[in-house]
Amino acid sequence: MGVPLHARDVRLRYPSPDGRRRDILDVPRFALADGARVGVAGPSGSGKTSLLYVLTGIEVPETGEISWAGLDIARLGESARDRWRRATIGLVFQDFHLLPGMSALDNVLVPATFAHGRTPRPLVQRAQELLARVGLEKSDARVETLSRGEQQRVALARALVFAPAVVVADEPTASLDAESAALIGELLLALCAETSSTLLVVSHDRRLLDRLDTVHTLVDGRLASSPPHALTAA
Amino acid sequence: MINPLPVVFAELRRSRAGAAAAIALVAVAAALGVAITAQERALRQGSARAADSFDLLVGRRASPTQLVLATVYLQPDAIDLLSGETLKRLQAEPGAARVVPLVFGDSYRGQPVIGSSADFVTDGGRRPLAEGRVFTAMREVVVGSRVPIGLGESFAPTHGHVEDAELVHAGFTYVVVGRLPPLGTPWDRAILAPIEALWRVHARPTGHAPGIDRIGSPWDVDDATGASVIVVKPRSVADAYRLRARYREGDTMAVFPAEVLVELYGMLGDARRLLSVFTLLTQALVIAAVLLAVFAVEAQRRRQLGILRALGASRAYVFSVVWLHVTVLVGAGAVLGLLLGWLGAWGISRALAARTGLALAVAVERPEISLIAALIVVGALFAAWPAWRCYRRPASALLRS
Repeated sequence: MGVPLHARDVRLRYPSPDGRRRDILDVPRFALADGARVGVAGPSGSGKTSLLYVLTGIEVPETGEISWAGLDIARLGESARDRWRRATIGLVFQDFHLLPGMSALDNVLVPATFAHGRTPRPLVQRAQELLARVGLEKSDARVETLSRGEQQRVALARALVFAPAVVVADEPTASLDAESAALIGELLLALCAETSSTLLVVSHDRRLLDRLDTVHTLVDGRLASSPPHALTAA
Repeated sequence: MINPLPVVFAELRRSRAGAAAAIALVAVAAALGVAITAQERALRQGSARAADSFDLLVGRRASPTQLVLATVYLQPDAIDLLSGETLKRLQAEPGAARVVPLVFGDSYRGQPVIGSSADFVTDGGRRPLAEGRVFTAMREVVVGSRVPIGLGESFAPTHGHVEDAELVHAGFTYVVVGRLPPLGTPWDRAILAPIEALWRVHARPTGHAPGIDRIGSPWDVDDATGASVIVVKPRSVADAYRLRARYREGDTMAVFPAEVLVELYGMLGDARRLLSVFTLLTQALVIAAVLLAVFAVEAQRRRQLGILRALGASRAYVFSVVWLHVTVLVGAGAVLGLLLGWLGAWGISRALAARTGLALAVAVERPEISLIAALIVVGALFAAWPAWRCYRRPASALLRS
C-alpha cells in the first residue's frame, strides 16, 4: 500500500556567497495520490534533490507542511523522522551508494541493522527473493566486484526490502548505459507495482519519465506541472 | 536494538591497509609500555632471588655495591683482599652459624674459578648436587650447571679473567668431581674450588699446618692469607644486625645484599618510571595519530554516513559506527601490544640470561593489564570525539558533504 502526500507552502532557503538568503525551494502545493507514479524533471541546480530531501524528511524546510497520510513530518523531531523514513521510504540514488567491503545480500540487509540486533529470518529470505527478482545471482559477491547495472539492481533491492509505502529515486538511471538504464526503469516500475508503492522519481531520462503518470518540471525551485507527453513532444 | 557491526567490519575490510597500520602503531606503543614494566619486575625478582643465599657479606671497606655485584652477580672486578685477621675474628663469633671466605680472581676460559668451601657448595648440606660429589681434596672442583666441562675432566686455571698463556698457573690442574643443579643465577657459570687451592696457587699459606692437604674450616690464617669476601650466615636476625654493626668499623664493611639491591632497585625504578612516561607519551601520540587519520578521512566518510541516515539509520547508529571503528582499532592494537610486549620482555630476558646466567621469569601481571585496559578506555573516550561530530550533523549536511 502507498500513502498519499499533501505538501503546502514549502520553502527552503540557503545563504548564498553574497550573504543573502537564496530560495532553493518555493512550492506552494504538491500532492501525490496513493500509489501514484510521479516524475520531476528540470535543469540541474533547479532544486530537484532538495525537493526529495524535504519530502523524505532528510531536510527540514524553513516553513510549510509535509503531510504524509495526515502526518506532518516537518514537525517531527530528528529521531522520529529517522524512524518514519526507515518504515515508510525506500531510497534509490544516482550513484547507488552501496557499502563496499560487503556482499550484495548484506548491502540489501543494511537497513535491517538499523532496528535489529540480529536480522530476522523472514527479512533475509525477502532480501534473497528480491535479489533473485532483480536478476542478481551473485548475492554473496562483494558489491565492488559488480557492474554498475548490477550495483543499481542491488540498490533497488535494498530500497524495497521493507516493502515501503513510498519509493523515492534520485536520477536512478543517470549513471548507467542505455541498456542497464532501460532494465532498471523497468524493474523500478514493476517492483513498485508489486508492492503498490507510491513512486516519486527525479530524472532526466525521457524513456523513464514517459512511463510515469505525471511529470512535474522544477525550475529555480518552482514547480510547473505538465503532462509527460508534452515533454516528449518538445 | 541496532547492530552497526556489519557496517564497521565492511569499512575495516575496505580500508585494510590503513586499519592494519593503525593497529600496528598502537600495538608497538602498547608493547613498549608492557615490555618495560614486565622486564623491570622480572629483573627485580630475579636479582633478589640470586641474592637470597647471601645473608651477610663482609669485605674490605670500599663500595658496598661493588662488593654485592662481585659476590652475587660475579661481576669481574678487582676487590681488595680482607686480612686474615678478620676471618679469624669471624670464625670466633658465636652469632655466626657459618663463615665462608671466598676468593675471586682466577678463571678458566672466561668462567670464574672461585675459592670456597664444601659447606658453601652444598649450602650446609641442604643442596644436593646434580652430578658427582662435592670436593674433598685440594685439586678437586665442582662446576655450575652451565659450565661446559664434563665430570672427570681436568684443566689448569688462569690468573685473572683474560685468556693469556703467560698467566696460566703452570703445574696446577683441577679435576671436576661434581656439578651443581641449575640455580638460575650467575653462579651457574662458576667453578667452585676449595679456597685452600687458590691460596696454594698464589703461594699463600693454606690455613692448615704446612704440608697437610686438609681442606675446609676452621682455617688458622695469618695476615698473608686473605679473602675477597666472607659470607656469613648468622644464627638469628639479632645476630645479623649485631655482626653487621661490629664489622662496619675499621677497614671492613658488612652489608646485607638486600639493602644494596633496594638502593639499586630505586635507580632501576626511576629509570622505569622515566621510560614509562616516554611510553605513555608514545601511546598518547599514537592515539592522536589514529584520531588524525580518522579526521582526515571523515569528510570522505560523512557522505557514506549520510546515506545511512537517508536509509533510516538513527544518529545513535551513526555515532556507534564511528565510535566502534576507532575503538576496534585501538582495542585490537592494545591487545596485540600486550602479546608483543610480553614476547619482547621474554626475548630480552633470554638474552640477559645467556649473558649473565640470571634466570628471569617474565609474566604479564596486573600493571600490564591495567596499562592495556587504560589504553583501551582512553582510546574509547577519544573515539567519542569524531563520533560526536557526526552525531551532531543533520542528515542533509552529511549527505551534501
